[in-house]
Amino acid sequence: MSSGCPPQSPAVAKSEVAVEGECPLLAATFAYWDNILGPRVRHIWVPKGDQLMFLSDGEVTFLANHTLNGEILRSAECGAVDVKFFVLAEKGVIIVSLIFDGELKGDKNTCALSIILPQTELAFYLPLHTICVERLKHVIRKGRIWMQKGYNIISVLSLEIVPIMELLASMKSHSVPEDIDIKDTVLNDDDIGDSCHEDFLHKAISSHLQTCGCSIVVGSNPDKVNKIVQTLCLFLTPAERKSSRLCRANSSFKYDTGLFVQGLLKDSTGSFVLPFRQVLYSPYPTTHIDIDINTVKQMPPCHEHTYNQRRYMRSELSALWKTDSEEDIPPDTIIHTDETFTPDLNIFQDVTHKDTLVQCFINEVFMLKPGLSLRSSYLAQFLLLLHRKALTLLKYIEDETQKGKKPFRSLRNLKTDLDLTTEGDLNIIMAFAEKLKAGLHSFVFGKSFYTSVQERDALMSF
Amino acid sequence: MTYSSAAVSHASLSYNTMIGSPDVVAFTKEDDYGQTNPEPWDLPEEFSIPLHPLADSNPWAKTSYAKFTKDFILISEFSEQVGPQPLLTIPDDPKICGTFDLNYFSLRIMSVDYQASFVGHPPGSGYPRLSFVEDSRVVLGDSKEGAFAYVHHFTLYDLEARGFVRPFCMAYVAADERKIMLQFQELSLRFSQASECLKAGNRRAFAKELQRKLQDLEYTHSVLQREEGLQREAGPQCVYSAHTVEKANELANVEKCIYEHRDLLKQICSYHRRPRRDPQAVTCQKCMTECLNECEMLLDKYAKLAEPVRYLEKGCKGGPGQGQLDDNGDEGEVDEEEDDGVKRRPSYTPQLIKAKSAKCFDKRLKNLRELCEETFYEAAVELLKEAERSFRGDLCYLYTRCLDKSLRRKQTVVNFLFEEELSDDAESETGTLRPFCAVNHSIDNHVHLNPPYIVLGPEALDPSRPLDPLDPVSETTAAQGGELGLGEGHLESSPSDQTLETQESSEETKGSFSSDKSGADQAEKHESLASMISEGPDPDSDLTPEPDQSADLGRESSSEEVETTAGEDESEGQDQTPVSLLEVVSELSERDTGSESKLLVPIDTACCIAQERFLYEAPTPDAVLCLRQNSHPTPSQILVVNQEPHALLPVQDEYTVGSPCPESPVAGLELPVGLLGDAISRTSVEEGSDCTMSASTGSDRAASPLSYGGSLTLRQRKKAAQSALKFVRQYPFALQALWCLLSGRTLVVLGSEEGRVRRLVAALALFLPSPGKCGERIQAWLTCPFTLTDLQRWKLIGLQRVASPVGSSMLYSLSRYSRYISILDVDMKTLRCPPYRGQLLANVADHRTFIRRGSTYFLHVQSTLCRLAAKAFLLTFTHHLHLPVSPAEGPDDVEARRRSFLQEQLGLDEEDGQILLYLSQLIAQQYLQAANSSSFGFNYTSSILYKI
Repeated sequence: MSSGCPPQSPAVAKSEVAVEGECPLLAATFAYWDNILGPRVRHIWVPKGDQLMFLSDGEVTFLANHTLNGEILRSAECGAVDVKFFVLAEKGVIIVSLIFDGELKGDKNTCALSIILPQTELAFYLPLHTICVERLKHVIRKGRIWMQKGYNIISVLSLEIVPIMELLASMKSHSVPEDIDIKDTVLNDDDIGDSCHEDFLHKAISSHLQTCGCSIVVGSNPDKVNKIVQTLCLFLTPAERKSSRLCRANSSFKYDTGLFVQGLLKDSTGSFVLPFRQVLYSPYPTTHIDIDINTVKQMPPCHEHTYNQRRYMRSELSALWKTDSEEDIPPDTIIHTDETFTPDLNIFQDVTHKDTLVQCFINEVFMLKPGLSLRSSYLAQFLLLLHRKALTLLKYIEDETQKGKKPFRSLRNLKTDLDLTTEGDLNIIMAFAEKLKAGLHSFVFGKSFYTSVQERDALMSF
Repeated sequence: MTYSSAAVSHASLSYNTMIGSPDVVAFTKEDDYGQTNPEPWDLPEEFSIPLHPLADSNPWAKTSYAKFTKDFILISEFSEQVGPQPLLTIPDDPKICGTFDLNYFSLRIMSVDYQASFVGHPPGSGYPRLSFVEDSRVVLGDSKEGAFAYVHHFTLYDLEARGFVRPFCMAYVAADERKIMLQFQELSLRFSQASECLKAGNRRAFAKELQRKLQDLEYTHSVLQREEGLQREAGPQCVYSAHTVEKANELANVEKCIYEHRDLLKQICSYHRRPRRDPQAVTCQKCMTECLNECEMLLDKYAKLAEPVRYLEKGCKGGPGQGQLDDNGDEGEVDEEEDDGVKRRPSYTPQLIKAKSAKCFDKRLKNLRELCEETFYEAAVELLKEAERSFRGDLCYLYTRCLDKSLRRKQTVVNFLFEEELSDDAESETGTLRPFCAVNHSIDNHVHLNPPYIVLGPEALDPSRPLDPLDPVSETTAAQGGELGLGEGHLESSPSDQTLETQESSEETKGSFSSDKSGADQAEKHESLASMISEGPDPDSDLTPEPDQSADLGRESSSEEVETTAGEDESEGQDQTPVSLLEVVSELSERDTGSESKLLVPIDTACCIAQERFLYEAPTPDAVLCLRQNSHPTPSQILVVNQEPHALLPVQDEYTVGSPCPESPVAGLELPVGLLGDAISRTSVEEGSDCTMSASTGSDRAASPLSYGGSLTLRQRKKAAQSALKFVRQYPFALQALWCLLSGRTLVVLGSEEGRVRRLVAALALFLPSPGKCGERIQAWLTCPFTLTDLQRWKLIGLQRVASPVGSSMLYSLSRYSRYISILDVDMKTLRCPPYRGQLLANVADHRTFIRRGSTYFLHVQSTLCRLAAKAFLLTFTHHLHLPVSPAEGPDDVEARRRSFLQEQLGLDEEDGQILLYLSQLIAQQYLQAANSSSFGFNYTSSILYKI
């Protein structure tokens, strides 16, 4: 407990987390609804070091308790994790609370895992909200299992709270700006091959768009990495850019699940260790771009990625369920498999689908004189075209299926009608549409994929 | 316990393709695939995640759990008497909420006092303190009910309430959690605006209430003092009866009350001086300043009122209910001051306050309207209605619309071709939104008080502008002078009297034209188009949506409410496209900082077009016509166009006088041609340039050219797209017609039936490049012959086929200019135009398309046109296509290079190239701001008659 604050009664355990840089997170708390005492804070995590704002333990406890107020009325299904988001101007804080049920000392309790930030960080935090929530949701799933077994949930929650503090700190210093100057990108080159090979650039942008704008750029030169990162970010929306991270010059950040584009620096041996689990847990498939050797690899499309991700999550939770001892928390380094699912570790594959959209754009944009607004305007037109095509595709499917009531059977017609006969073009537009309507890939391609995976697994088992 | 940020790296990626795992732990079993035997080791489903969630089988089904049919706004109160209770919903339609339990949901969202600040008597303070708490914003959900809400908590002041506060909340209830989170800031801004409006009204009402209360107390005090004095005089000296003591106590209590209420008044007046802790709060500087001034005035006045001793000395004439303490010279002076200073009406009669007030549960608490004053309440509700409208619909449409807008802002050079005018948007934004203050700015517009501290738009509204009944600003005009409103002295009477008048007058003027001529024109044009598009289905028309498709349209409105935004009951006259308030705010801030307009992208002014212009462009801006022959313009050709060509091609038989329509031979005679129509039309034959006027007068429905662009609502354009889709599917030569429009060849739609022609013109207008802000390039219905000048002005003409002398001259003009125009005969279902063999438009005019709905086709057309505009932009601003790369090169070399670019680089053939050349020419003209020097082109390729 930090000195100078009156101790809570009974004392609340507190962890101080050493985080490099300025961490905008004020505190994270785990609270639960005690059937006798009401809302109670069980644990507080605070970043060590300078902070934008100071909250005493008493204030943290007050706020954490507040998140559980009203939850006496909660009637969610067992296992559901509900998110509450507070902007309390009176206190000058934002609180993100994930409310769930868990077993504590043999009783079912309503619990809340919360993170607290200063209200001044609202604009900074909002683009990262989904990332934080999804990651916390999954650790809560693990924590619930731990609670069910009667173990201490805090150790499990710490597995994600600490990385989230690090993520927010790194984003504070290295997030991609909302407005990117085209001069900092490859698109400002005099000619197409100045910074990188034409085909590499085309492939990188095409794959980047096919994987919903989610890419990792690795390399040995931070400036070059950041140039490609910013080039790829040109094709993202402002909010997505704010969920992207530049490469740090001296030492690399870790890979962080959920960011759209992130630059990562290779170590002295020329390699970068990429965590399988975290990559698989990314909400979208990822493009891997190595600027040292000019290679572009991509993960399978959304529906396959989501399917693999869910199966892996189930395996991980299942492994945790089978753990016998509180000390045996399976580390993230373990790659989980189960009887029906063996993850394909070779998740990055060659980009096989060629497109015409990006190809034309790359060829044409370099015809315009650099250093003016011409290329920015042309880029805006290109993005407008992609967004409109995605909306058209979505509407087309919506019409054909009566908003999903009927299965979609006319992919061929769609391709012809919307001029998406080239597979790469379709992938790009589908990726844009997936971001607008999550689950679209699974809806359009899903059934056949499940069949094929089942068949493949069946074959592998022989 | 201290955690370090240890690296958590797991699998190494060597040479970027291989993922190796140091620890692969397999929990494999020998069971056959798919045969799952439940075992104690198996993870229970409640701890797992679904492998196939519902979203996979239907991405649209995520929101189907909700018991309400669409998003709505709920206002709830935590009543000290009955607990949390819903007060009203927006829209106020029980069908929307369905079986959703509003009481339960109110309980859930109001069960926590998020502001959690002290209210009441602070320790060591003699007087109760008002708590100025900031609003709280909470997003929460009930996953079981499928309901999620943005909840905006705020408190209002009520003298009768416990702690003087009444907690309220406004909630935006939706079935899609992501929608709320993604638009959190916009929601926060809009609800803050509404909250500030309510609170401003509430402070005003509260101050009035306090003033009344103080008057009551002073009156009571004087009465008690007099009674006590009488008793004291009546009784023996130094002996006080119990009654006298009781009166003295009562008097002391009243005095204490006076001081307390005086302090409360001071507190409420100091509201504006307190520092705001909420960075998201939306405040109006003008409101603040006005309120501050009035507060000071009030406090001066109040200082006099709050001198009980003086009051006693003044004495009081008359009993309770008899009104003012005006028998004293001083008091008269006070009144006089009030009259002079704040124009206050002596309308309040002080009441005697009983010693014991009613019990808590006996009293009737004020409702929200009473708490906030009518005007402010109405303005806030209007703001919420506007918010509800703007957030209506599916997130994907809302989201794309925002992106669309921001991207279009970056390409203003080509927006004029096919896009809505963004500058018009900005005007409408400022016209329909009240970014910071829902009330006071309307006063500015009406009464011309001090200029607002926050400039809301580029220009103030014209005071003579008729009030728009749909604009809530109008409803609140001139209702009050300031936030506290005490300056008016309407302690009892509500300013709604004036509001009512304003409303009535605004209703009267609804649909009428303002004195502003251009405004009238706009309205007229709009009305014209609206009537044209919203005409009922024509059973004979090819373009009338079929009944089943009409039903489809009905359904589609639910899926795309966001785009259509306006409810069915909304006026078609306004563009109902919702506007992001955040955008408005950012725009305003930009204006505030004095940043210059960035509408024009700072493209290289030294580029080719600025230096030498395009080789195919008219060299002088005053050249009336620029005639292109096979797209190879030369100076000599420009001279040619100054005289009308005399060589006339033979006209087809059907264009002869009184051309009979097979279905309806006399249809042309039955058209509602006005009395003056023929006469004026005849005049216009001689004065070709007056054609517009003659057309307008000739038919009451052909009042003006077709309005387009900013004047058309999205809904109208989608309706037009439905007609366009029908046209494309029914007419195999639709491709040729579209090519004519896109390559700059004027297309004349000839028909005897006005509605049919107008619908087709509206449909084809979607494809017309640069139609003009108000559709100046389109003449939807012309009942007289046109001239060459008209061809320069209009690119799409709906022409009436009539069997009369006028009709013959009309057909003569058709025949005369047939070299320059294409003629689409609606009656005969033929098209006469040069052949088109390109591929560029094949996708947008494929009669075998499986696109069924107009709205989908509209999106498809938008995409296609967007691509064309991009290509044209490329052609326009690619330097080497317009400039000689060496001194030895002549114009022919550059021309050859350009043609080579079109053919080899872009893969376009001759006709497709013409489209890009035409669009590029328009861009160049627009960019060089020589739009007036419009041109039309023709070539000597013979036309072909296409038939179904």
